[in-house]
Amino acid sequence: MGYSSALIQRKYRDIVGRRYESVLKEYGEFLLADEEMLVPEVRSILVPLDHFVHEITDEAIDVLSAYDATISLAYITDAGVVELVEQTLDRASMEEFQAKKEEYGQKLLERAVAKLEEHGFSTQTRMFVGHKGDDVVLMAKNHDIVALSRRYADGESADLSISPTVLRICQRVEIPALIY
Amino acid sequence: MDTIALIAVAVFLFTYALIIDERIHRAVAAMMGAAVVVFIGIVTWEGLLEHIDFGTIFLLLGMMIIVNTARGSGLFEYIAIRTAKLAKGSPIRVMILFAIVTAVVSAFLDNVTTVLLLTPMLLYVARVMNLNPVPFLVTEIFASNVGGAATLIGDPPNIMIASSAGLTFNEFLIHLAPIMVVDMVLLIGLMYLIYGRSMKVSPDERQELVRTLDSLDERAAIVDRSLFNKSVAVIVFVVLLFFIHDRIGEILHAVLPFVDPAMGLEPAEVALIGAAILLFWSRQSPEEIFEKIEWPALFFFGGLFVIVGALVETGIISSIAQVMVENVGSTGEAMFIVTWFAAIASAIVDNIPLTAAMIPLIHDLGATMDVYPLWWSLALGACLGGNGTAIGASANVVVIGIAEREGIGITFIDFLKVGMLVLFVTVAVGFGILWLKFAV
Repeated sequence: MGYSSALIQRKYRDIVGRRYESVLKEYGEFLLADEEMLVPEVRSILVPLDHFVHEITDEAIDVLSAYDATISLAYITDAGVVELVEQTLDRASMEEFQAKKEEYGQKLLERAVAKLEEHGFSTQTRMFVGHKGDDVVLMAKNHDIVALSRRYADGESADLSISPTVLRICQRVEIPALIY
Repeated sequence: MDTIALIAVAVFLFTYALIIDERIHRAVAAMMGAAVVVFIGIVTWEGLLEHIDFGTIFLLLGMMIIVNTARGSGLFEYIAIRTAKLAKGSPIRVMILFAIVTAVVSAFLDNVTTVLLLTPMLLYVARVMNLNPVPFLVTEIFASNVGGAATLIGDPPNIMIASSAGLTFNEFLIHLAPIMVVDMVLLIGLMYLIYGRSMKVSPDERQELVRTLDSLDERAAIVDRSLFNKSVAVIVFVVLLFFIHDRIGEILHAVLPFVDPAMGLEPAEVALIGAAILLFWSRQSPEEIFEKIEWPALFFFGGLFVIVGALVETGIISSIAQVMVENVGSTGEAMFIVTWFAAIASAIVDNIPLTAAMIPLIHDLGATMDVYPLWWSLALGACLGGNGTAIGASANVVVIGIAEREGIGITFIDFLKVGMLVLFVTVAVGFGILWLKFAV
């Protein structure tokens, strides 16, 4: 640091003190920070589905259409429930339960794909039995955004509260999460 | 020169050297210098009270209270966002609008607070446009100094001159404000010529800026709507009161016959009345507001007045005045010397200590010549001289200091090149107008 620069810093410190920090704090309430101004590159979006997600809403599709990204739809049947059915009933009942879930899932995936392709999205689908929270967190590592229905893994509750599983996923994923 | 006078000169020079170098806080340097001249009896207690210009100190104090109370409302952030939005994505318009807003706000509130609150917004706009922020920042500095020179309350040198010479707010509006309007037009033209080419943005970047700024809600900046309204009302009231401060008795007498029609209010009284009203009306905690007052600046002024008082007491100032009187033939010549000496010296020393030393000198010249034009020469030179170097005025130091903190380098030499050009053009035009008014 040259003399003139050091001189200006000395004078600055004496004239302003800590006032600039408080001004910046006040501005920080409504101006975007540098990192917030960077538009993240989004190439793939993960959309988990399950029995409780009946559709991807138009509002969510509007937001997702801002990105030129591939949408990965993942229908997950809860492994815990499958196991519980097998333990409490029998293997045949479990297989019947799983087949019904897969049939529902397949239909849901087909509807979602058709709707998304209408909006010009390219899509990928997969369906598996797994953990609705942990598996989404794991899969999110290979995607840029995760879009979660507020009803995901939440049963058929009538109110508009967000499912606890969705909230837990949001806390654990390192990518931006969109809740619709 | 006797020993006492030599000591007074040595203390003055040493203190001013410390102020220029700033290794010791300027307020401490001024207080220490004052302590020495008081300790050895050059300035007595009675002399000290006489030399400290309480008009200046109380005016600064009152305005600091008003500004610090208003700040809490988000008023300045609101102004900054509105200004940025008005530019509609054009970098040239950003530069011009911010220059005008900075000049107008600086004319009525202190320059440091003005640039401190507008600079983050300018940096933000430059970042969004992906443009070099330096042209915006240096234009803001010059505009602040030019705008501050326009009114009695705009810049500390004007406050000091007005308080000491008994000049009114309207006299500043008559003699200096028109010059500053001309200088602002020139300044904007100069900045356009120097930086205009580097301010081109693509239509996409322009749209991006408009989109980003449109997404900012200036109403969100207003953190306290009630305080915002009260602050605006009190600032407008105080400015109106400044317009009539010397004729307030005349006006009040028509409504309240017991008021002496000859009564006038000092500018310091106006500021303190405004401060009292805003504190009372807004119900803000006085402890919090008083904590934000820049006490070091007030002690800095107090110390300077005492140190310069020592030069007055020992006859140094009158000796210099005598030499000037013997060598100056006309008012026009005296105006020329005062204007250009003040301009160039205040680019080096900082205009506050320079003005503090020049005021008693001009008072002494008053024994043999009409010094009324010289006050305007001093105000013009001291305020606009601050544009010359990076350390010429507090606003320069603040903006350049912020820029450095944000990783934007404005070197002393880079600033000097543009600053000296602005100094010479604005002072020459200003001097020309004053000369036509008073010396022809």
